Amino acid sequence: MSRVVKKAPSLCTDLPLDNTDICNKLQILEQLLRSCFGPTGRLKQVHNNIGGHVVTTSSSSVLLPAISSPQPFINLIITSIRNHVSRFSDCGLFAAILCLALIEQAKQTGVSGNVAIRLNKHFLGLCTSYLHQEDCGCKVKLDFCSSHNLITLAHSVISSKPASVPTEPEALHISKLAVQAFLLTVPCNSPGIVSLGRIVTVSVEGQCVLDSAVFPGLLVELPDVFGTFKVENLSSNPLRMVLFTVSLAGDLSELGNGTIEVHCGADTDSQILDQLLEIGKQVVKDEVKLFMCQKVIHPVLQQFLRSHGITVIERLGITLMEPLTQLTGAQPVATLHTTIPLKAYGNVRGLSFRQFGSKTMLHLLPPGESVICTMVLCHRNETMLSELKVVCQKTEHVLRLTLREPSALLGGGCTETHLAAYIKHKSMNDIIETASVLGCSQTEYLLSMKAFCRSLESVATALEHDGGNSLIGLTYAHHWTLPADAIQEHMEDSLVRCGCGLVESSPNMKWSYLNTKYPEFSPAPLSRDTAVLPRVLDSFTAKLNALQVAVETANIALDIRYIIQDMN
Amino acid sequence: MGMPPVEHLHLKHVLQTVCALEAVVVRCFGPEGGQVLFTRDTGQVMLSRSGTRILTALQLEHPLARMVVECVWKHSTNTGDGSKTFIILLASLLRMIHSMACKDPNVSHTYNSREAAEAATARHLAGKLLAFASEELDDLIAVRVVPHGCCLSWEDFTAKTQSPAHTNTSNVKKLVESFIHTRLGRIHCDLIADLICELLTDWKFKNDPPSLSLQFVNDNFPALHTPVSGFPISCSRLIEGQVLHRDFTTPSHQTDHQPVKAVVFTGYLQPQLLNAGDVLEMMEDDTRKERSIVQFSAWAERSLECVFANLQNLGVSVLLSAVKQSDAVLTLAKQAEICVVECVSEDELSLFAHLSGATPVSDCWMIQPEHVATLTFCRPILLGAHRYVHVAFHDSEEGAVVRPCSIVICGPGEGQTDQYACAFQDAIRMLLRTWEPIHMTATTVSARTFLSHKISSEVMDNQNDKITSASYNASLFQKCMLEPGCVIHDGGTFEFLLHHALLQHGHNRSVSDHTDESVPAISQLLANALLSVPQQIYSHSPRRFLQIQTRVLTSIQNHFHPFILDAGLESVSCKYQLVLAVLQCVTNLFRVDTMLHTNTRSHTRSRRFTKNISLEGKEDETED
Repeated sequence: MSRVVKKAPSLCTDLPLDNTDICNKLQILEQLLRSCFGPTGRLKQVHNNIGGHVVTTSSSSVLLPAISSPQPFINLIITSIRNHVSRFSDCGLFAAILCLALIEQAKQTGVSGNVAIRLNKHFLGLCTSYLHQEDCGCKVKLDFCSSHNLITLAHSVISSKPASVPTEPEALHISKLAVQAFLLTVPCNSPGIVSLGRIVTVSVEGQCVLDSAVFPGLLVELPDVFGTFKVENLSSNPLRMVLFTVSLAGDLSELGNGTIEVHCGADTDSQILDQLLEIGKQVVKDEVKLFMCQKVIHPVLQQFLRSHGITVIERLGITLMEPLTQLTGAQPVATLHTTIPLKAYGNVRGLSFRQFGSKTMLHLLPPGESVICTMVLCHRNETMLSELKVVCQKTEHVLRLTLREPSALLGGGCTETHLAAYIKHKSMNDIIETASVLGCSQTEYLLSMKAFCRSLESVATALEHDGGNSLIGLTYAHHWTLPADAIQEHMEDSLVRCGCGLVESSPNMKWSYLNTKYPEFSPAPLSRDTAVLPRVLDSFTAKLNALQVAVETANIALDIRYIIQDMN
Repeated sequence: MGMPPVEHLHLKHVLQTVCALEAVVVRCFGPEGGQVLFTRDTGQVMLSRSGTRILTALQLEHPLARMVVECVWKHSTNTGDGSKTFIILLASLLRMIHSMACKDPNVSHTYNSREAAEAATARHLAGKLLAFASEELDDLIAVRVVPHGCCLSWEDFTAKTQSPAHTNTSNVKKLVESFIHTRLGRIHCDLIADLICELLTDWKFKNDPPSLSLQFVNDNFPALHTPVSGFPISCSRLIEGQVLHRDFTTPSHQTDHQPVKAVVFTGYLQPQLLNAGDVLEMMEDDTRKERSIVQFSAWAERSLECVFANLQNLGVSVLLSAVKQSDAVLTLAKQAEICVVECVSEDELSLFAHLSGATPVSDCWMIQPEHVATLTFCRPILLGAHRYVHVAFHDSEEGAVVRPCSIVICGPGEGQTDQYACAFQDAIRMLLRTWEPIHMTATTVSARTFLSHKISSEVMDNQNDKITSASYNASLFQKCMLEPGCVIHDGGTFEFLLHHALLQHGHNRSVSDHTDESVPAISQLLANALLSVPQQIYSHSPRRFLQIQTRVLTSIQNHFHPFILDAGLESVSCKYQLVLAVLQCVTNLFRVDTMLHTNTRSHTRSRRFTKNISLEGKEDETED
């Protein structure tokens, strides 16, 4: 059969950044993403053309996969950002907006591609080395003795995704839960290599967000509750349990590809069942109280075990196996014919039922101190619940990142304006030698520096969606927002606090609008006043990487001179 | 069936096709070149500056263009380099030949059309060019180009590691740097060149020629590198030992006791009871219990237990398997505190076997101590989104010489990481070609020494310098062949030098009474075509072109070869092979004069469809 189809020649585009179609698309993408940014960001509804779920979201991890363009140039940028989001869970929109702004600004300056790329790289280097400095003005050390900063960090992540939690008390509740769950997964006293535990998320639809809770141990969903369950709560001595990964339904899967001829009268089924019951007898003899299986258990075996007062749970699924073994210390059994060694058994301290709306769950309490916990998330409807789940996973990830690098960056646009002011100041000082080292003219250097700073500042301005104006404080270079209804003459009265909440308004302060020209100045470091705590914090690791990804992606985009699209 | 449609190929068609290719390639050529973004038919987005990649992505239809792409592909898989220069040089040669053939008045009258006459002249010229190049080009290069460059010593690598604060960066690094510059742009070339040099230093076999260890790294590159997307390229690094691109199936036991013992399995541990074709008979079993199916599978499990008992006796704590093992195996392994890594690729296992010196187990009943590999550690490593297994080897006899290490290549996206990895491998391939001794048979060697004698005497005539001639002559004898590891400044130096050499050569030939009077014309043609490469490199500033040309010419006149520190380097042998490959391609192109468009079913979809239906109908009938 000839399946040879002639290959269509490829579609070529020369110099994509001069192409109006691509430029328009970039602009639309930037507007779309800017409108989602921050706690007051506008929500987007995503639905496909064949009538699937409608997803309401403003978070980059859901939004970016939904945007796919036939134009590979756009897709390239989106893929880069998505890769960042999948690694760091946070600052995806920041990276995307910064990247698109950098491309647009670089195009406007008219500096030739290669020079612009080199200079962007240089400014990125300035930023990262500044952020790593001890005396960096926009970094906050995280103190694990107090949960305040952790909760602030979690709250900033959660409140920046307004689709999940609409009200402030709810956001605070979820932030506290996230921090609590995170702390439960950190082992307390294990020296050497620390391995973090796990948060198992169970979602319950139809309940109020404030009903969400965190439990140590595992909650296993029970599909149907028979009256046969008799749960004892023996808190004094732990219950012995066994965990099977192999199917106990009476099938033999590992036999091979040969054929089996069954002669008349041979009763293989009963033979296998006998073997299964052998296991049952051993388990009863070893005083096991909880019998769990990843796959299906033969009803006869189930009946046998229940009649001996054993709680039986089947069809657990592969996802619960790892947390279960961690929680109970059991070794999963996959052999049918060998006797179960004693060390394969695990323990739970007790069992209890928990009811969440329509769902009944069996709560397995850890035998000792455990790093496994379950987070029950409740929300009114499915869309918001799935968004809440995404948000909680992200928060967990962001909190985990703090273990590696215990610092955070000031949120609310303050880091961006501060960095922009720092770069302006720093590069004005040594413009002559740097320009010659980088092999460009001073004009090119200045133009690129302005483009870079403007891009950073434009991310800060994207936080405002209600027609307010963005300002920069001329002392600390923090970001301030002037509400739209403020009167120009009494600007000072309307400005109470900067974006991150560290700087309060004082009479001799000066501001400048972000999109206007202001004199370069050295941003003053804040006096370390412990009484004032920041109100918005961003993950240091995630934001630093986002900054790098944004600049590198922009550089790649600027470097592309030709596009070849395979049309097959 | 009638005659298939015939299309006569004219010179200008060939030229048009190649010029179209050139238009794409120049966008990413030279220091000011950018990237080309392309999508695959799978929808995957790729970014590249690699000429081969770009040309194959075009999915060209024209048979001539496809032929050119094939030639480029062959050349670059051989040398890893020069695909863009290939097209530029080819286009320029074709233009020269075209203009020469068009204005040539000595057209023979046997051809009935002007086009045919032009094509014949072109063919003739191309043949001459190839003959000239394959006979004399290597000697010309050896005598007139190589002295302007230098020979890389393999010790350059070690020099770098011994003194990191070496002010004069090693020439190998410069060579790699220039290569990466043409491939990935200027920003990262320093970083990547450092990585490649470090990698090669670690993989250096002390007593073997460099080409052997380069060959080894080249062959095992897929197993030696780990692409990680989502990180900036500056996070790329070398790590000790080997990375197996799989995660532990059973959780690893973090034990401090060393060494870790590992065994490699290629097959299933649990015996396959019934192979395809076997028949198991189930009898009435009340009396003969031992033949029941339950006993049968119980025996299989027990045999597994024996295997694990044996493994525990040998002190094995890691199992590497090429296939997926059964649940029972995993459980038993867990109980025996042995960690299992499943589905390890064949390349990685063979590298592992090579480095550890242990042979993989094929029959699990026969596990001997020689199957057991000794590792310093075996632990999980988190690279990007994936968790892999990281192993390091004990110093064995070979381990004392090489320090096995793997390379982690980071990039913002999958396409970029891929591109970086390709550039890494091509750089290694290019180094390999640079060092590879050029094989010559005895007869050609003698013929060549004779020829180079002639050329060297010409050189001396030009020099008119009797004091230095003796020493020069001596050095010429040594340098008459292309030595391995020969490099020259980049930025068109090779082309300028060869251009000059060819002009001189042609001039000398015309003066001396040689039989073939077309040699000057031929060498002039090639010389002028070569100039198009530096012209393209300095297309953004013609002034720079003139500056460089003057500099090279002065250095020829002064017999002084200034070694500019900041300039990059490129491999002479790769360049030489490039010129030869282009000339071969030109000859091939002109050998074709007509295209026959044959009709197969796939060309017309509708007709094929109906035919298929009728075919299927027939098949159905026969099956019935």
